Amino acid sequence: MEMAISITDLSYTYHDGTPALKGVSLDISRGESIGVIGPNGAGKTTLLLHLNGILMSENGKVKILGKETRKENLKGIRRDVGLVFQDPDDQLFMPTVFDDVAFGPINMGCAQEEVRERVAQALEWVGMEGCEQRSPQHLSIGEKRRIAIATILSMSPQILVIDEPTANLDPRAKWELTVLLRGLSMTRIVASHDLEMVAALCERTIVLDNGKIVADDATPIIMSNTVLLQRHGLAPASGIIEPRDRGPLLNR
Amino acid sequence: MKHHPEIDKYAGLSSPIHNWDPRAKLIAILSLIIAIVLIPDLEIALVGLAIALTLALISRIPFSFMLKHMMWVIMFIAPLFVIVSLTPSGGIEHASLIAVKALAAVILIFPMIGTMRFDTTVKALERLKIPSKLVQMIMFAYRYIFVFSGEFQRMFTSLTSRGFRKRTNIYTLSTTGKLIGMLFVRSLDRSERVFSAMVSRGYDGNLKTLVEFEMHTADVLKAAILIAIAVALDLICFTVV
Ligand SMILES: Nc1ncnc2c1ncn2[C@@H]1O[C@H](COP(=O)(O)OP(=O)(O)OP(=O)(O)O)[C@@H](O)[C@H]1O
Ligand SMILES: [Mg+2]
Repeated sequence: MEMAISITDLSYTYHDGTPALKGVSLDISRGESIGVIGPNGAGKTTLLLHLNGILMSENGKVKILGKETRKENLKGIRRDVGLVFQDPDDQLFMPTVFDDVAFGPINMGCAQEEVRERVAQALEWVGMEGCEQRSPQHLSIGEKRRIAIATILSMSPQILVIDEPTANLDPRAKWELTVLLRGLSMTRIVASHDLEMVAALCERTIVLDNGKIVADDATPIIMSNTVLLQRHGLAPASGIIEPRDRGPLLNR
Repeated sequence: MKHHPEIDKYAGLSSPIHNWDPRAKLIAILSLIIAIVLIPDLEIALVGLAIALTLALISRIPFSFMLKHMMWVIMFIAPLFVIVSLTPSGGIEHASLIAVKALAAVILIFPMIGTMRFDTTVKALERLKIPSKLVQMIMFAYRYIFVFSGEFQRMFTSLTSRGFRKRTNIYTLSTTGKLIGMLFVRSLDRSERVFSAMVSRGYDGNLKTLVEFEMHTADVLKAAILIAIAVALDLICFTVV
């Protein structure tokens, strides 16, 4: 069967010379739910931005549902891949929740009636019915995240890509969001350093550190490998850390 | 987060101006503003001011709210008034004319855009065929100005909490300069990410929204009356004098 996502030997370096990805290869089949975990600066966001052609690298190949991310394919790929950004203030740019959730469907060319249906459906999925006329800037962070996800669900993508869905959420909001995401059936890729959420949500987990995939396995296997998690800054190091003498400036 | 845009705070009231079609309202009140600005005669300008006040009254927007928002305009007009009345070519009458017209124009802004939600204003501008780039600029300014001012405040708080005090010296100036520079850099980064988010959802240069405005006879009638008043104000000056 054709892969949902197939990445071969992808490398990416930012303009300022920061190498963010170094030879990443990855295959994801349809319907899979995958966690991408790694410490800050590991390259998670950079990897996700390659999945709908926001970033395109000359080094390596990214194929989405059999189509390579090239200029001529982008329109179709962006319909298939729904990308939820790390900061909801980036994702929500329209004056009202309705306009924001309707933005994608309108651009897809849906007729008025269908746009309305899609918006209503998406808001219901994320439990935010009745908020159509509110302004995104006045919502709480948890609400913003739900709406951000609704703006993507309204486009019914085949692949859902979410960057740090639980950052800044309180435990209850985090759990509600996990339940919401678990209820979806499309291919899902979730980048996070929240192991609890990944464990609850994803069958398979990839550990990214310093631009490379250092582990790729079933989630329970990754989560029980404490040494691996410690080595990549995802679990606290064992043993008592002796306080070091830090000199006169901090020892006053 | 603390400061919300307030100009449309009273958009939820109900008045003949609130239920006026946004496009007709924008055009009619804008015509009136232009007509008032063109008036060369103090007495007629006072009539203009009275009309502006009447519209504000009809709109039910509290005067205290308008006054609060007009403070900075008044602070700008007051010194202008003093200067113009003291110059030989100006005089009290000329200065009063300028002040009265400015006041009337500013008051009219409240019934014009304070009586509908800001996103409705933006959509009305769009439907009036104002260039899309301009409309998008207004919309994004409104959406992100508070994100940016919040960012600036946080940076400033962080400086202050590390012992920075505003003084009149080069150090204060250069630090503030760097802060503003950082703000620009951050805004640029953010606009790049916002643009990515827009492109991800199929943005192609045009913002498309669903709106249905409906123009009824009453809307046209209100606009006609106001535009007639506007024209009359100017005609009186130029025929009588
Ligand atoms: N626009 C940019 N310009 C230059 N370097 C960048 C840019 N964005 C990210 N980087 C760098 O690329 C590397 C990977 O960043 P990336 O944002 O992909 O990490 P991440 O895993 O998403 O981290 P986090 O968990 O903090 O979100 C980091 O070293 C970062 O400093
Ligand atoms: Mg990131």
